[in-house]
Amino acid sequence: MSSFGPSSFLLDDYLEKLPGATFRKLYQQPSTAFAIFRRMLPPLAKVYVQALLYSPTPLTTNDIELWTQPEGKGTSNRAIARLRSLHIAQLSQSTRAKKAQDIQLTANFKKSLRLALEGGGSHNSFGVPSTLPTDPKIHIQYLDHWAGRIWQDILYYVVNSVPMKANESGGRHGSGGGGPKRAVRELLKMGGLVREGAGGLVQISEHGFNFLLQEANAQVWTLLLLWLEAADRNKALAKEQGTDITGTAIDNVEMLSFLFMLASLELGRAYDTSALTETRKNMLPALADFGLIYIDRDRPQQYYPTRLATTLTSLSTMRSVSASIDAATKKTPGDAGSLGADSTPTAPADENGGIVVETNYRIYAYTSSPLQIAILKLFCRLHMRFPNMVTARLTRESVQEAIKEGITANQIIDYLVAHAHPQMRRAAAAKGTTVIPPTVMDQIRLWQLESQRMQKTPGFQFKDFESVEEYRQLAEYATEIGVLVWKDDRKGTFFVSKVEQIREFLKARKKGN
Amino acid sequence: MPRAIRGVLIECEPAIKSILIHIDSTQLNNDAIIEDLDETHLMVKEQMVKTLQARLDEKLKETYRVEVPLDDSDEDKGM
Amino acid sequence: MPPKRKAPGTQGAAAKAGRTSALSTPGPGTPRSLDSSMMSEEDEDFLNDEDVDEAQKQREDMLAKEADQFVNKWALTSKNVDGGEEAGQRTYDAASQYFKKRDYSHYQLKPDHQNRPLWIEPDGTIVLERFSPLSEQATDFLITIAEPKSRPSLLHEYRITTHSLYAAVSIGLRPQDIINTLDRFLKTPLPPRILNFISSCTQSYGKVKLVLKNNKYFVESVDTQLLQKLLADPQIRAARISGTTDISTSYAPTMAGLVIPGTKNAAGVHQADLKQGNNQNGEQGQAGAEADVFAALNEEDDDDEKEAVHSFEISDASVETVQKQCLEIGFPILEEYDFRNDNVNPNLEIDLRPNTLIRPYQEKSLSKMFGNGRAKSGIIVLPCGAGKTLVGITAACTIRKGVIVLCTSSMSVVQWRQEFLKWSNINPEDIAVFTADSKNKFSGSTGIIVTTYSMVTNSRERSHDSKKMMDFLRGREWGLMLLDEVHVVPADVFRRVISSIKSHSKLGLTATLLREDDKISHLNFLIGPKLYEANWMELSQQGHIAKVQCAEVWCSMPPEFYDEYLRANSHMKRTLYAMNPRKFQACQYLINYHEARGDKIIVFSDELYSLKQYALKLKKVFIYGGTGQAERMQVLENFQHNPDVNTLFLSKIGDTSLDLPEATCLIQISSHFGSRRQEAQRLGRILRAKRRNDEGFNAFFYSLVSKDTQEMYYSSKRQAFLVDQGYAFKVITQLANINDTPDLAFATPQERRELLQRTLVDNEKGFEQDAETDDLFGKPSGRRGAGGARGRKAGNGVRRTAGTLGELSGGQDMAYIEQNKAANKGLKGKGAGKKADAGGQNSFFKKIQREKEKIKGAR
Repeated sequence: MSSFGPSSFLLDDYLEKLPGATFRKLYQQPSTAFAIFRRMLPPLAKVYVQALLYSPTPLTTNDIELWTQPEGKGTSNRAIARLRSLHIAQLSQSTRAKKAQDIQLTANFKKSLRLALEGGGSHNSFGVPSTLPTDPKIHIQYLDHWAGRIWQDILYYVVNSVPMKANESGGRHGSGGGGPKRAVRELLKMGGLVREGAGGLVQISEHGFNFLLQEANAQVWTLLLLWLEAADRNKALAKEQGTDITGTAIDNVEMLSFLFMLASLELGRAYDTSALTETRKNMLPALADFGLIYIDRDRPQQYYPTRLATTLTSLSTMRSVSASIDAATKKTPGDAGSLGADSTPTAPADENGGIVVETNYRIYAYTSSPLQIAILKLFCRLHMRFPNMVTARLTRESVQEAIKEGITANQIIDYLVAHAHPQMRRAAAAKGTTVIPPTVMDQIRLWQLESQRMQKTPGFQFKDFESVEEYRQLAEYATEIGVLVWKDDRKGTFFVSKVEQIREFLKARKKGN
Repeated sequence: MPRAIRGVLIECEPAIKSILIHIDSTQLNNDAIIEDLDETHLMVKEQMVKTLQARLDEKLKETYRVEVPLDDSDEDKGM
Repeated sequence: MPPKRKAPGTQGAAAKAGRTSALSTPGPGTPRSLDSSMMSEEDEDFLNDEDVDEAQKQREDMLAKEADQFVNKWALTSKNVDGGEEAGQRTYDAASQYFKKRDYSHYQLKPDHQNRPLWIEPDGTIVLERFSPLSEQATDFLITIAEPKSRPSLLHEYRITTHSLYAAVSIGLRPQDIINTLDRFLKTPLPPRILNFISSCTQSYGKVKLVLKNNKYFVESVDTQLLQKLLADPQIRAARISGTTDISTSYAPTMAGLVIPGTKNAAGVHQADLKQGNNQNGEQGQAGAEADVFAALNEEDDDDEKEAVHSFEISDASVETVQKQCLEIGFPILEEYDFRNDNVNPNLEIDLRPNTLIRPYQEKSLSKMFGNGRAKSGIIVLPCGAGKTLVGITAACTIRKGVIVLCTSSMSVVQWRQEFLKWSNINPEDIAVFTADSKNKFSGSTGIIVTTYSMVTNSRERSHDSKKMMDFLRGREWGLMLLDEVHVVPADVFRRVISSIKSHSKLGLTATLLREDDKISHLNFLIGPKLYEANWMELSQQGHIAKVQCAEVWCSMPPEFYDEYLRANSHMKRTLYAMNPRKFQACQYLINYHEARGDKIIVFSDELYSLKQYALKLKKVFIYGGTGQAERMQVLENFQHNPDVNTLFLSKIGDTSLDLPEATCLIQISSHFGSRRQEAQRLGRILRAKRRNDEGFNAFFYSLVSKDTQEMYYSSKRQAFLVDQGYAFKVITQLANINDTPDLAFATPQERRELLQRTLVDNEKGFEQDAETDDLFGKPSGRRGAGGARGRKAGNGVRRTAGTLGELSGGQDMAYIEQNKAANKGLKGKGAGKKADAGGQNSFFKKIQREKEKIKGAR
């Protein structure tokens, strides 16, 4: 099964591709409407929605214009465009009689959002809490730990394609379970985050590295969307082949709705499994594999959302999942803002992610995380490891090996910048220079160039044309169909990457003459 | 009918082209390069591409900037 | 007179062995196929072994072996050192496998580790957090006990080695203090291995001193048992002067009462009064007592009241034997000179000029040398341009006994003498030079002699005057021997110097201890341990040396040149990548750019042919080995003072201690393979720029390299040292608008082809050698002979190329040659020492104009 290739994996893109009908279905669920409202809209759009939510009459574009400043017109238009593309709002036709268009919310969305805000209704869209007694050991910390480990394993696998070893002495390093489940691994392969290299070994790919660079929230969605797309394909395939007898192929609307619902649940609370639809119940195992929900084997009537789920629609921009968890569990006095979803990014202090890059290519990474170390190993040569710091070096060899894997120089630079130690940021701000020494950035790019000294294109060279006209026509045709790689008009020769169409064209031409 | 020759088009800087031609004539018995197309392009036999790349890398190694050895313990005699 | 002092018995000859290790440590992808004879560095210019007789050679070989053995015995990696608990692999988690044996994550972080600045590895590598609160003190401490390896901006690396510990101990640090202080700064507990290493090394180093006091030699130690142990050895026992008590005890020497001239404390204090350790001035005497941990430790020493030292006297004749035996037993002797109690050697009337203040880092370095009131022998490492000369002069003004200064070239001899006259009040008659051109003595009972290594070690037939001079040098006891540029001089040479000239203390001065032949270990035993090493970045931040922007300019080779390059042998390759016309253009561009900015520019080239061609083509003055002394002086004068002479081309001659304080821009068009110290040295030329303290001032250092040639490899190798000091080399792949340069050299393909042809023809018969080695260690000029050629072509001296060129390309080229003479000659009329007068300048300028027109007309 071929991989999906490079789609941008973002929820935005995914949603925008969905047809209106899907949205109508989606918006039947208040939790979905609420989640999308909360996460997917620019501030001005939210203002419009709120204005329209309880307004008895529709607003017109004239009204909107009155509210906005001339320089805000662009923002306003964009906000409206967004609302339309997400099928939240619709515009009436502009007629000669009535130039200004009416704007109103789509029915389902309106209804659902109201329900979400006011409460009430029997939609159970926000999950049904479990009434059964809960296991005292399952508290937030436990869930965080469990989810964090699963996610670490997934990331580690992407980097290393090797499950982390089970750790005898327990503790933070390593997982007890030997890596992500097979289904997850398959998904990663299908999504092109890892690829099969020489000798059947699985290795990280350029997209995998991009994945690692994403913020925690985006990473989770990337995986979920891969899953969604896989489900879409399966369903389409089943339809084609007529194999979907039982009709249990998971519907993407169902999946999305469920995700949005999970996003609205309360962390630490147990919810009732039996209140879920059949389809949703079938989704639970996969979600557990991703670390989004936890079900105790002994108590399958309850499920717990983890922080990965409850922050699905949050606006936090934590660099990594562990940073999110750390930030949330930090008991800094008076730092209530660090808890909860909307925390602003905190600069990594000692523990996670502060990387120092020196002008002589030495790297000092303040980390003890095997995952971070595994990532560094992708493009650095590791040297020494202390309890809270790792020394390494950027070398031609290490960087070019990464380049061979498909990682680009810019990605490496982006990674180093994203994880730069606060001291480096401070120095850069003070001096007005780049965070990473410019000579190092240049050199990484030069090393990449070095490995690309020769561009190779297999194909065919055409020469000895009967006439200039023949040459010209063929060359033009080749350009049109996009196979022309090089030509020399003076010498009357060109090079194409594919030959069949040219041959056909030649034959046709001859016949024509 | 024009002729179609199968091969691999190499695009590179003039200096690299010089090296490739040099390698072809001194090491490969003129076996690899089919035609010198222009300042920055060569036609090369498909089966020779890998060899050519390897020889090029070898030659370029001489020019690579050196890196201080990672394991300093080799340097210092006193340790 | 029996030789008072032979070199401590641990020097090495190993000239041959040294050659193989002249290949510096290779990195991944090092081209091994390169002609290895081309890669040897210093040896080719230096002493010919044929100068030395067989017996001495054998002896030197033996001494070398001993030195090696001793050094190896104490290697941390040897089995002698316990603490194998770190050895072997321990898997802690998934990431451990990447580090093999170097996973120390199991170390326990101390609770306040955030406040401590150091990590340490059992093999001795230390990582220092510069932004940690205690980093200043930790740095001061580390520089005393370890070698700096990497000092960029935020995290530095050091390494504890046998030598660094030797140095630490020799300036008075006690092992327990080292251990305690180290522990104080560490984030994790001190690994047992390091503890054992420190203990075992320091047990034997620095325990025994050889002190010359009142013209008598004493073997001294704080440890009586150790002395007893030594005396148990029959040879040592035999050396002891009988009749004196077995072991006498006295107070340990302290710095009290000793003031280093030029320090804040020195102002107003007359040296002579303090001769006998007058305690009245004791409090003023403590120099440089900052938050320096070392100083703190010293003070603690004094607080313990006077420590006792024990000693026994030995005879003059047996000094060498005793030294050798102590080494055998495992206790190398440290030499100290108690100059304040030397009543036999006459005093030298010398003081720093009033109002001369030395800089804090210079003071620090000297306080290490004179820390206990005596003069310790050793090496001080300061960046080029940071004032090493003044450090040497201040040391001389502290000791105030006869001084002999050894330099690398006759030019530097002149420079040193000038510096002495500038900074001190020495009577000009008391300081004399001994070079091929002049053999003077001082008139009084003592004084200063400045000479070159080659003058002193050259054992060929000497002229009568020369021989007399050598007898003079050998026949006296010198108080201080100043050794300039110790990183350049082969160990053999030192050995010969030291064995022929007796000095009570020796101070080696250098910008870097880097040697491509790895003989640092030997230097440590020949001269003494490293006393101090400054931090380049720090000095530049403090404004003592200029801030420098370093860049590497990549010049692509035009196809014809490159094709030739691919085919050429290694010699020709070198010439070709130097003669790359794009490099000419880049050079021209940079010169124009910087001259317009008012910079004084030096262009270096090791490759003589290209040096001349560049200078000719770009119409600039130049100096190389074949340039006569007087002409050199004139060119230098003009460069320094004439506003119209702003660019000077220099050959390798420029690497010796030519003092050119006003250069603010350096361009390197060709260098000697991968010499790191050469790169550092050249950088030093601009580090002393006087304008360095101007707001936002930057000096510039450009290295022009031909793309896709071996030069790129060598270039990066050379930069390695500077990169580890914190310098970053920007890569410039394109110079903006270079094609708009007026009169751009070799702008047309035809000119380039001509250049190529000329280059090939001129050099096919052999390569011009720079006959400047008379100034370094070879024979005096004119005496090259068969012995001189070693690995190089047999060409003798300078080849006149005028004739050949004239044949080839017609009158135009003759103009170039004339041009050259004109450029330098244009300066001749002025005379040395005088500032250029307006008239003189104009005539010089006019001549250039005329030549320019001539060429234009001829086109």
